[in-house]
Amino acid sequence: MLSNLGNILLFSKVLLSLTIIYFSYQCIKSSREIIFKKIYQISLLQSTLVLGCFFTLIAAYVVSDFSLINVYQNSHTAKPLFYKISGTWGNHEGSLLLWIIILTLFSFLFLIYNNNHPKNYRLYTLIIQNILILGFLFFILFNSNPFLSLSPIPKEGLGLNPILQDPALAIHPPLLYLGFVGSSIYFSAAIASLITNYSEKSFAFSIKNWVLISWGFQTLGILVGSIWAYYELGWGGFWFWDPVENASLLPWFAMTALLHSLLVLEKRNLLYFWVIVLCLITFTLSVTGTFLVRSGILNSVHTFASDPSRGIYILSFLSVMIFGSLFLLLNKYRKENKLIYSNSKETFVLINNWFMMFYLLTVLVGTLYPIFTDVLTNNKISVGPPFYNTVILPVVVIFLFFMAIGPKAKWVKNRFDNLGYFALLLFLALVVNFSIIYFFKSSTILSNLVIISSLFLILSSFFDLVNSILKSRFDLARTISHISFGFLVLFIGLNHNFSIEKDFNMKVGEVKSFDNYEIQLQNLELKTYNNYKAIIGNLKIKNILLKEERTLNPEIRIYDNPETLTYEAAIKTNLIKDYYLTMSNIDRSEFYNIKFQKKPLMIWIWISVAMLVFGGFLRIFKNAKIN
Amino acid sequence: MKNNLFFLIFVIFFTSLSAQEKSMEKNKIFKNLRCLVCQGQSISDSNSDFAQTVKLVVNDLIEEGKTEEEIYSFMAEKYGDWIIYKPQLNRQNFMLWFLPYAFLIGGGLIIFYLIRKKREKT
Repeated sequence: MLSNLGNILLFSKVLLSLTIIYFSYQCIKSSREIIFKKIYQISLLQSTLVLGCFFTLIAAYVVSDFSLINVYQNSHTAKPLFYKISGTWGNHEGSLLLWIIILTLFSFLFLIYNNNHPKNYRLYTLIIQNILILGFLFFILFNSNPFLSLSPIPKEGLGLNPILQDPALAIHPPLLYLGFVGSSIYFSAAIASLITNYSEKSFAFSIKNWVLISWGFQTLGILVGSIWAYYELGWGGFWFWDPVENASLLPWFAMTALLHSLLVLEKRNLLYFWVIVLCLITFTLSVTGTFLVRSGILNSVHTFASDPSRGIYILSFLSVMIFGSLFLLLNKYRKENKLIYSNSKETFVLINNWFMMFYLLTVLVGTLYPIFTDVLTNNKISVGPPFYNTVILPVVVIFLFFMAIGPKAKWVKNRFDNLGYFALLLFLALVVNFSIIYFFKSSTILSNLVIISSLFLILSSFFDLVNSILKSRFDLARTISHISFGFLVLFIGLNHNFSIEKDFNMKVGEVKSFDNYEIQLQNLELKTYNNYKAIIGNLKIKNILLKEERTLNPEIRIYDNPETLTYEAAIKTNLIKDYYLTMSNIDRSEFYNIKFQKKPLMIWIWISVAMLVFGGFLRIFKNAKIN
Repeated sequence: MKNNLFFLIFVIFFTSLSAQEKSMEKNKIFKNLRCLVCQGQSISDSNSDFAQTVKLVVNDLIEEGKTEEEIYSFMAEKYGDWIIYKPQLNRQNFMLWFLPYAFLIGGGLIIFYLIRKKREKT
């Protein structure tokens, strides 16, 4: 029954989108200056239906309706309710429904929140957005329908991958989708702007907050994903330059470039076409990422063959998007005849964009290159963390210096009368850096440079912050975001440099010591839970120098449905450091492999990213006030 | 004073470098090798039997006095290039290493050109 209801809702959504496109077109042709009331009403109905559709699927998961193939494949009656619900978007089909929700809601919100912009611009945005919605609806209906039914109805489902049975699954995908699916709205707006020749300042104004919103959620989504990877995957890192991670980072670079160049468009009416290009590539990259992840092309070229229809559909959709927008762009392109002085804020924004494009293209090349070598030479290569660190890190150093100096430059024409000030900052950064190095006694040239440049940015932003409090007219949102980014790089640098990693093979009762630590495997405990069994290790870690003792309990879990073995790390977090411990059995013997890590300042990495986002949201509130 | 500062930087760089290099070397190699039986983990990060075996092999190779590069070549010959995370610079991977820097330089030139052209018009 739920299957029928879901399908009916999906079909009516197709009809509603078509109706909206039809009425919008009528409205554009009509001479009236306002948008037909029924367009608002249908949009509202459309948003309501899409939520109804989603709740239908959630309901199917909650009552474990295995007449739906999707529920059968991804759920199980013995699973806790919370994971039944979050499992709804933990699979390909369900997550596509989340895509549609965000496409639809953003389309509706953009329509009602942009009253003061021209009618045709808003209507074309609505039309393009509904074409995108239709594209994804057809994909769902013909290829990835979560409401397909199954008969005879199985008694029990196959269960959800244990790694996904985590609170993070409930929030990580929705946050990321708000980010990169949210970017669809300025993709549509950019095309509408090209069609209606609605350009310059007012265009920048209409999409500014949407860019900030999607950027903020994208950043939060990446943050939650990193934290999840940190505690779940059990190797103590939070970023692995994995292709799927890269796919979420690519639109982030484009968004970051976009929200900076929008400033130039808003203040100086410059870079209009570049802003359009960025709007277009942000969403294009989001769809590309989805294509790469969903088609399975990234993990191995061979799984592409096992489900070619999925990949081919997204690929054709993507090509239409790219060629369509490219054609329109070339058609409308005209030269800008305004001046950029080499020493001005505009130049610094361009420099920001230059670096963002460098990061973006580097990550893109690194992600795609293995596919090319595999296809062309039949040789599989890996492009992993050491590659990205080698190529990107040295450039980040230069980038941070620009990031500190840039905001100080004035619009149009600037003179640097504050070189002495920067020299002083640099000197302070050097002093702090060398005291850190002296204190911890471990470093390389590159890590010194990273620390120095991030300190330079922090100090420079810090004095801005002091200034802004004194004069109460400085740009607080920007200062917070920039200082947080400086801290982020600093903490990652310090964390990377001063982490300690040791591993031992030990039996119950054994004690091992290293540096000024002593570690003892006291005992093992076997516990049975609702849907898994766990072997829980009881380990004592003693810091001899500080006379401090901690107990950590890493686990080895055996899940029932589907039967899987997972390792749960034990983490003790405080403001200065994390202890991170994992345990695994060696060949079913009495020996256990214990891996101990001390990770300094871990929590500050998360806090820095949260503050970075806070800066972005602060800007939205400020914008709202001005309007 | 300036000279003293440079001297200080110099000393700190090199004392710290030599002290640390040996202990870091092994871990750096582990981090650069993929655990072939895991999902996106390096040898250093993995608990698997495969990782344990590779660690022992690498230890032996270091004992034999093999350099880092020789160890990678050995591993690549045995398991294919897939096992190395940092692709070696050769004909096949030339574009991978070259393109990012080409973008960096190209982007810089575009900005330079943009600004210069605008200046000439004034």
